Amino acid sequence: MSALDLLAEREDMISPGISACVGCNVELTLRTVMKVLGPNSILAIPPGCMGGVGVVGWNKQSGAKVPVFFPLLDNTASMLAGIRLALDAKGRDAHVVAFAGDGATVDAGFQALSGVAERGDRIIYICYDNEGYMNTGYQRSSSTSKGSWTSTTPVSKEGQGGKRQHGKDFPMIMAMHDVPYVATASPAYIPDLVRKVEEAMKVKEGLAYIHVYNPCLTGWGIRAEESISVARLAVKTRFFPLYEARNRKFKITVPVPNPLPLEDYTSRIKKFSHLGPERIAELKDLAEERYRFLEAVSAGGGGRA
Amino acid sequence: MSTLEKDYVCPVGEGIYAANTGDWRTQRPEIDQEKCSRCGTCLLYCPTNSVRRVEGRFVIDLGYCKGCAVCAAECPKQCIAMIREGRK
Repeated sequence: MSALDLLAEREDMISPGISACVGCNVELTLRTVMKVLGPNSILAIPPGCMGGVGVVGWNKQSGAKVPVFFPLLDNTASMLAGIRLALDAKGRDAHVVAFAGDGATVDAGFQALSGVAERGDRIIYICYDNEGYMNTGYQRSSSTSKGSWTSTTPVSKEGQGGKRQHGKDFPMIMAMHDVPYVATASPAYIPDLVRKVEEAMKVKEGLAYIHVYNPCLTGWGIRAEESISVARLAVKTRFFPLYEARNRKFKITVPVPNPLPLEDYTSRIKKFSHLGPERIAELKDLAEERYRFLEAVSAGGGGRA
Repeated sequence: MSTLEKDYVCPVGEGIYAANTGDWRTQRPEIDQEKCSRCGTCLLYCPTNSVRRVEGRFVIDLGYCKGCAVCAAECPKQCIAMIREGRK
């Protein structure tokens, strides 16, 4: 079944009206992921945009057609591990899924997620990484790129300031847990995302982790209609490479042999507008270094078969 | 309650929560069916799942469409026009 047939025919598992910002690509990601996973799923959405826009429900009503939980920011993965144990005890099977932002994954929820990865609890964890705490007004997270304006890393009139540290290379950190499936995805490559969710569903032992890079329109300062094209530029400039790893066996799923200049991407985003050529070059160097590392581990094959 | 909502059965709570996001729209997409190549890019990338495939053609269900213009920007044939909405 092609991705188009699947998305055209499957039922949407999310409420038709959720109050995500106009053009939000996280809304697109959530609907796509849940169409692929289908009705036999249990969803957990910790505090973050997708909780805030009403997917976890409002006034006794639910925002999804599958059971949906609203765990704490820091215990999503552990809670789902418990749900899996309960299902196993009852002899039932369902997809146990987290849909969490980068704050609940890379920052506060990291210990719980790392624990689940190490113990080998069978859950699907999807992180939508928009580089910050968006629904509370864009505070920095440890995923935010260096130089970014955020409300907690302000920029002076002279263009000085912005975040002082690089963001974590989080999908790589998860891959180094030796889990059965880790993938990166982008809302601009929907057929690729659909296939990766299908791969995650095939994992019968241990954690499947998918890291989706979602440029945030409101927080980053991007025009609504450029929602998808900016996400695509992040891939085409090698800023966010798309790959998958099975027990450390890496494969780049969307190779970028001739990257576009990073300025094509950063110039479309207001949070980078104060950066001069030197600070852009710094971001570019890190992106290139991470891509070279990825190519090296992919070419070598590595890992266990 | 629209027909779309009636289709929805919730496992928990009293029903489905659906904000009337169609009311946010300041512009609406219109597909030129003559120019459309039926590739389905609009359906793949619509954030609100407002594009339907009906007998091979792609049509827009405006009920919850927020008018973000992602479909118009992504269409490879550029056959989707954004029309300014009048007063409701």
